[in-house]
Parts: sequence; C-alpha cells; structure tokens
Amino acid sequence: MPQMIFVNLPVTDLDKSKAFYEAVGAANNPAFTDDTAACMVVKEGSIHVMLLTHEKWATFTSKKIPDAHTTAQVLICVSADSREAVDAQVDKAVKAGGKADPTPTQDFGGFMYGRSFEDPDGHIWEVMWMDPTAIPADAPAEAEA
Amino acid sequence: MPRMIFVNLPVADLAQSKAFYEALGFTNEPRFSDETGAAMVWSDTIFVMILTHEKWKGFTDRPIAPRGSSEVSLALAMDSREAVDAMIEAGAAHGGTADVNPVQDHGFMYGRDLLDPDGHVWSPFWMDPAIASGEQPMPEVAAG
Repeated sequence: MPQMIFVNLPVTDLDKSKAFYEAVGAANNPAFTDDTAACMVVKEGSIHVMLLTHEKWATFTSKKIPDAHTTAQVLICVSADSREAVDAQVDKAVKAGGKADPTPTQDFGGFMYGRSFEDPDGHIWEVMWMDPTAIPADAPAEAEA
Repeated sequence: MPRMIFVNLPVADLAQSKAFYEALGFTNEPRFSDETGAAMVWSDTIFVMILTHEKWKGFTDRPIAPRGSSEVSLALAMDSREAVDAMIEAGAAHGGTADVNPVQDHGFMYGRDLLDPDGHVWSPFWMDPAIASGEQPMPEVAAG
C-alpha cells in the first residue's frame, strides 16, 4: 500500500465544509463519503482529509473538540508550486467562506512564501511555496511552516 | 514538485518527541532540525514538524488547545494489522499512550489510536487493499 495520511477533522456542517474543501481544490471521493463523513483528496494516493460530523467524531473518541477558532492543536501545511498558487489558494478559500491569513505570512523573498487560511470550523491550513533550486539536491523541502 | 503535507505539532520536550516519532518509524531530517524544531519524514510527501512551544508561538498566537481535547486525529495507512500493532506498541514504549480510543476492528479495516507524549492523536490503520483501491465497495462502517 502506498504511504497515505488521512487528516481527520471534526466539522459542524458537513455540506458546508465539503463545499469549502472542494472550492480550495480537494476532490471528494464518494466511495468514502456518506452523511456523516466526507473524504477529500488533496493528493491522490497520498494526502486525504476526512471531514467528520461531531456525532461521527464522538464515535471514535470521547475527547472534547476544542474551538479551533480560538485555540490550535495543529497547523497543517501543504506545498504549492508557486507564489501565485499560494495566493490563489488563499483567495479561493476566502471566496468559499474561509478566512485569510490567520497566521502571519511567511515571506522570505525569493525562496519561500507561505500564507494561511482557516476553514469554516477554524482549522488552520498553511500553503507554502519554496523555490526547489534553493534546496540542496539531496535534501527534502523545507518543512518548517 | 509533488504536493507535500507538513503536519506541524507543538511539543513540550523536543528530544523526547523526536525519539517517540523515530520509534514510530519516522526518520529525522537533521538539515531541517535544530533546537526549536525537528522534521520527521514519513514519506517523500508526508512530513511531521515537531516544534517547541516557543517556536510554535511564532506561527500562531492562538493558545495550544488543552491536553485531553482533540482538534484532529492523524491516520496513517499501514501495510497490515501487525504493522498497526507494532506502531502502537513502539509508541507506548516511548512515552505514548496506547488505545486512548476504542479499537476499530471491522474485518476489512483495523485501527488503533495512540497519543504522542503531548496528547496528539495518531491513528494507524490497515484497510483491505481491495476496498481501499475501490475495487470492492465500502462495507457498512464508514472510514475514520
């Protein structure tokens, strides 16, 4: 099996969140979607987001859901191909009802550029571009976000 | 460049967390690690960045959610039930807490939950490849 991650997030309004994630470029996978959860594909075969209603979430854990608008437990960062693609993704998020730039923009001039948006439940996503030529050939991309 | 994900997590004790994630099967990338953060590599597209609270505060002014609450759970696809068990056991032996949530055992799918030393939830799981690939329809239980 290829190495895959599923980021599971609790959401208050599944339809709204599904539409939001589609708007920022994640395709829905109907095979793993029903009225309690939606599988959103960020990168086929590798990166997925599972949106779960609070009811469904509660079947997996008794832990309380913190208010992601006011606290943060995770910052999820995805890479983009260019500075323009970073801006475009944040713009799409805003048009879809998300908020732009809940965290400071990371602008290191010519080699790295990162912005962020929050989804309707307050979960923060960062989008980052890094100049591949600025990375040593034998190193993975800068991971700090 | 392929799309990559970096899951950034705040940790109280960087050295302990680094050892924990190495025990889970992540590889440390020393070129992107210092005394404030460590890059832990799962695959060429999946990374975890563990960050000291001090470093974390440079990225967001939202307070860290209280321990015991859960904003996210991070599920990694494993090759077998045994690999799921092995990850849980390795985590428990390195400062983590095994089975904080009910074990998900549905025959075609098997998952267990593990807390890292800071209370972040990891959910290694195995799924029958025929179902994961879509060759066979998903049985009644929804994925999580």
